[in-house]
Amino acid sequence: MELAYQAAWLIPVLPLMAALIIGLGILCFKGWTAQHRLWAAGLSIGTIALAFALSTLIFFTSFWSKREPFTKLFTWAQAGNFTIDVGYTVDNLGALMLFVVTAVAFLVMVYSHGYMEHDPGYVRFFAYLSLFSSSMLGLVLSPNLIQVYIFWELVGMCSYLLIGFWFSKKAAADAAQKAFVVNRVGDFGLLLGILGLFLVTQSFDFSVIAERLEQLYEVAKGASPEGMGLAADVVKFVQANPQLALGLATVVCLLAFMGPMAKSAQFPLHVWLPDAMEGPTPISALIHAATMVAAGVFLVARMFSIFEALPTVMTCIAWTGSITGVVGATIALTQMDIKKGLAYSTISQLGYMIMAMGLGAYTAAIFHLMTHAFFKAMLFLGSGSVIHSMEGVLGHENAKESQDMRLMGGLKHYMPVTSKTFLIGCLAISGIFPLSGFWSKDAILGEAFTKGILEGFEPSAAALWLIGVITAGMTAFYMFRMYFLTFEGEFRGNNPEVFSMVKAELSSAQDDQEEVTAHAEPAYGPGAMEVTELEQGHQHHDHHHEPHESPWSMTMPLAILAVPSIFAGLIGLPWMNWFGAAIHAPGHEEAHKFILSELAIVAGSSTVISLAGIALAYYLYILRPELPGQIAQSIKPLYQFSKQKWYMDDLYEWIFVRGSRALAQTALTTDKKVIDGAVNLSGFGAILAGEGLKYFESGRTQFYVLVFFGAIIPLVILFGLL
Amino acid sequence: MFPWLSVIILVPILAALVVPFLSEKDGGKTIKWFSLVVGIIDFILIVAAFVTSYDYTSSSMQLVERYPWFPPIGLEWSVGVDGLSMPLVLLTGFITTLAIAASWPVTLRPRFFFFLLLVMYGGMIGVFAVQDMLLFFLFWELELIPVYLLLAIWGGYGRMYAATKFILYTAIGSIFILVVGVALYLQAGSLNMVEIAAASGKFSFNFQLLCFGGLLIAYAVKLPIFPMHTWLPDAHGEATAPVHMLLAGILLKMGGYALMRMNVGFFPEATEWFAPILIGLGVVNIIYAALTSFAQRNLKRKIAYSSISHMGFVLIGIGSLTEIGMNGAMLQMISHGLIGASLFFLVGATYDRTHTLQLPEMGGIATRMPKIFAMFTTCSMASLALPGMSGFVAELMVFVGMSTSSAYTFEFKALVVVLAAIGVILTPIYLLSMLREIFYGKLNHEVIHEDELVDAEPREVFIIACLLVPIIGIGVYPKLTTDIFDKTTTALTQATVKRIQTAQNPLGILSKVYDPSYKTKAVAESVPLEN
Repeated sequence: MELAYQAAWLIPVLPLMAALIIGLGILCFKGWTAQHRLWAAGLSIGTIALAFALSTLIFFTSFWSKREPFTKLFTWAQAGNFTIDVGYTVDNLGALMLFVVTAVAFLVMVYSHGYMEHDPGYVRFFAYLSLFSSSMLGLVLSPNLIQVYIFWELVGMCSYLLIGFWFSKKAAADAAQKAFVVNRVGDFGLLLGILGLFLVTQSFDFSVIAERLEQLYEVAKGASPEGMGLAADVVKFVQANPQLALGLATVVCLLAFMGPMAKSAQFPLHVWLPDAMEGPTPISALIHAATMVAAGVFLVARMFSIFEALPTVMTCIAWTGSITGVVGATIALTQMDIKKGLAYSTISQLGYMIMAMGLGAYTAAIFHLMTHAFFKAMLFLGSGSVIHSMEGVLGHENAKESQDMRLMGGLKHYMPVTSKTFLIGCLAISGIFPLSGFWSKDAILGEAFTKGILEGFEPSAAALWLIGVITAGMTAFYMFRMYFLTFEGEFRGNNPEVFSMVKAELSSAQDDQEEVTAHAEPAYGPGAMEVTELEQGHQHHDHHHEPHESPWSMTMPLAILAVPSIFAGLIGLPWMNWFGAAIHAPGHEEAHKFILSELAIVAGSSTVISLAGIALAYYLYILRPELPGQIAQSIKPLYQFSKQKWYMDDLYEWIFVRGSRALAQTALTTDKKVIDGAVNLSGFGAILAGEGLKYFESGRTQFYVLVFFGAIIPLVILFGLL
Repeated sequence: MFPWLSVIILVPILAALVVPFLSEKDGGKTIKWFSLVVGIIDFILIVAAFVTSYDYTSSSMQLVERYPWFPPIGLEWSVGVDGLSMPLVLLTGFITTLAIAASWPVTLRPRFFFFLLLVMYGGMIGVFAVQDMLLFFLFWELELIPVYLLLAIWGGYGRMYAATKFILYTAIGSIFILVVGVALYLQAGSLNMVEIAAASGKFSFNFQLLCFGGLLIAYAVKLPIFPMHTWLPDAHGEATAPVHMLLAGILLKMGGYALMRMNVGFFPEATEWFAPILIGLGVVNIIYAALTSFAQRNLKRKIAYSSISHMGFVLIGIGSLTEIGMNGAMLQMISHGLIGASLFFLVGATYDRTHTLQLPEMGGIATRMPKIFAMFTTCSMASLALPGMSGFVAELMVFVGMSTSSAYTFEFKALVVVLAAIGVILTPIYLLSMLREIFYGKLNHEVIHEDELVDAEPREVFIIACLLVPIIGIGVYPKLTTDIFDKTTTALTQATVKRIQTAQNPLGILSKVYDPSYKTKAVAESVPLEN
């Protein structure tokens, strides 16, 4: 199987080739490419399938044989004796990520064929998808921080392109820019963190950095720096100010953590992710749920041994995750847009993973990353299927309304596959036995419980556990609220009263509607529609009156994803942890021992609260559907606080957007008035001087020469004397 | 040996003398083709000289030609290239040839226009290739006049103001080059740059400070450095696309080149005094120009300010006093030459179709012009230092150089790196806002006429493709390019650092930013010098 490792570089390169070929096709042979669009899709899907096959091979080899990480490097940049290397490395974590990313990417591409069938940007969409897959796979294979940063930015760019895919939509354009800029704020920290770590350790390599930092802490405690890899001036500095050195190390690590915070949408940098739902739904599934947003968790895992040695950093990470979990869950409680709801759920689940990392539960975090990738991708694709169907009823000009759950309901009668897979997803994310989410969420909560209570009471970890359990309850509630509103009850999409009410509310929220309908020919794609509708063109009133199930290319990926959503948890059973044996933090060989009573307490408590959440959702949305509105009325401030996303967007708008605009305006005014003003003033001075000097203009050349030399000679003499 | 450089400089200038005799009748077709062929031939000559005769494992001056010209004042025709010149000569040939191709739509007095372009071609290569101070001054001035005329005749509405401002700024700056040149002749007894650098040990500290300061003013205008930059938004705001490409692609690089060649090369001790100032100015350039660019509503001026912002990295790289920082500065100049030229070309192409430069009046043109949209997005990504493209590598090298520099105290380094990294956030804000305002959303039918929005023609796609090949090539594998100049920059940095570490000159308050142990290191780890 050595050959598979040797060829691992092909995994990102294959989709890259597809992206390049399709991209060139679009730019150079537009008409031909548009006619042969199935070839383009075939090329994308084919290359990712090959990458998937290779990744699967590597994944199973790597998990079974427990071999050493495989690394290949070459010099990328050089200056004097200083070099920066790049290359690729495959270890168990990398192999797992390769498998997950290629699997989800493959299914999403198949799904996209159905979903984007009639979009004018069909070919471009596949080019972007391939480019994204390539960048993401490159990120997974990166052997050092520099290369991680390179691909980190590239996936960010792909995300930007894909959010802004429907570029004539104002909301999409704004969301794309917001995503990129917020991520750049994180990258600012990451870059500084990388530079800081390099300054201390002279290395970009994860294990070397960790090892040298470890040495640095030893030196700070008074050990002799003999035989260590640290630079002499670093040692001197640390010996002189041990406390300051530790403080600086903490700052540097926290700066580096800003990168994952932005990418994995952690509070307070999470604001871009919900807006990112303006992109096509397959993108939401692939990038903004399953893979790219998990890159933050992945990077924390890669840097785990760097962070681990600093308790302050670990605590910060854990609490960031925990707060994010709560924030995401509380906002998700009141969202009416199905995709926004899922987006906040993603934020909340990513918070779980980051919290687990901060608690030192490396294996559990990655385990949850994997299971979440499968069931959240499925949920998003399911929501896409629902939207597809709703657009068939409401018309494509009502894109926003088609995502509003108040207009859905009863869809299970029309969409059997979608509703069943969605239910599986809801059960999995709520952590119901024995679906995958149960095992992974339990692994995280179990770790927190052990740290906080079993191994002696520790308030921070205990609080994290409690918050985790409460969040689990909220998760179950909002997910089933979503399920009941969408699939149970009566279909409300044909009810004109509800429709006009929702439309009024949405258009007061944003003037997007007029924007879209004003366009004679909507430039952004219809998104999803039935093949038969193509002939009918864009006649708005010519649509179905009943929802319908989506075509096989969309339902098949759902069905396939249901399998790991149900069973993936079984590879990480607490008493037979095949997963934990393969994936563990560097230097931590054994996951903690299995204790049945502990499992009973942790799993029991979280299951009970999840079931309570489901029961509450059932009571409120099935038995007493009039109640939620009344409750919302009675606690209006709280309800609005959640619905308006904790007013974070408004806050940022006021502080950062307007603040930076005002600052920029000031700079420009300064430039015009002060600096250019001085220049123009000196011009005025020149005119005055000229007025005075004109009396010297005698017309005699000798006089000019005299003046010239009179000026030059003193200068020359001055310089000559120095 | 074949006199490569003399031929390369003289071919376009001599060819320019032929242009006035060509017919203008066919709308300038003959002239355009003639100029393009000359441009291509000269570029081929440059590449041939590079491939056959340039040795990138050597840090010394190569392809040297020296002929006495006017012996009484020591003027000689002296040309040569090393790692600092060669990449910029290559860049000049490349960008200027593309600029000629970009001038195809010029219909106003094509004979004069292409005459000036070809004169500039030779003049600009001359600036990078000559090794004589006086000759350098002559070429420096030679290239000013064409730019002045190109601005004043083919510019926009405010062209006279812009052209006058440009010529005044640069002419005042270049007086300093002349004066310092004469002073150097008196001190070193030679006008040859290699000989001046070799004699730099004789220069007193105060003399160095004065000369460094004088040259800094001259080159600060060109680069440009805050607060001498205000000619640039005006000049760039009024220039036509090809002139624009030359201004941003090549003329700005003369400042950076001369800073390295003369200020650092001739005055190592003064470099110690000025290095922190350069860094400070670099930081101001980055942040200040990024902010003004963000607030700017005029598309051309926005990109002009972004050029200023990017040049800040060159200053920080030079000031970092490390090999990698110096390499980063060099690479940033090459990279910005390519990216700046491509962005300005695209701005011109967009303006040809929208007939407005006001961003609030634009919007929604992506639907009609997807190719321009794709190219504009790609080049903006390159400009905001997206990895995989050249700008990222250059900025990364500057960042690494600055943060690993052993010259400065930790506090100073941290401050500079953090402030410069703010540029990482600001750059995408203004560039992406710009893209959003031009391309996204819906069309503004009041100002823009839909039928005039034709997508890019093959000529335009070709020009951008030519520029993107090196941009992405450098981004993917920078070593190929950095190897061209690595030996020279390394030698220059090591020589400078060695002089700084052994010098004991009063720095005043500036000594605060230097690491106190920096000087003692010289004894401990004396670097073996090449040359």
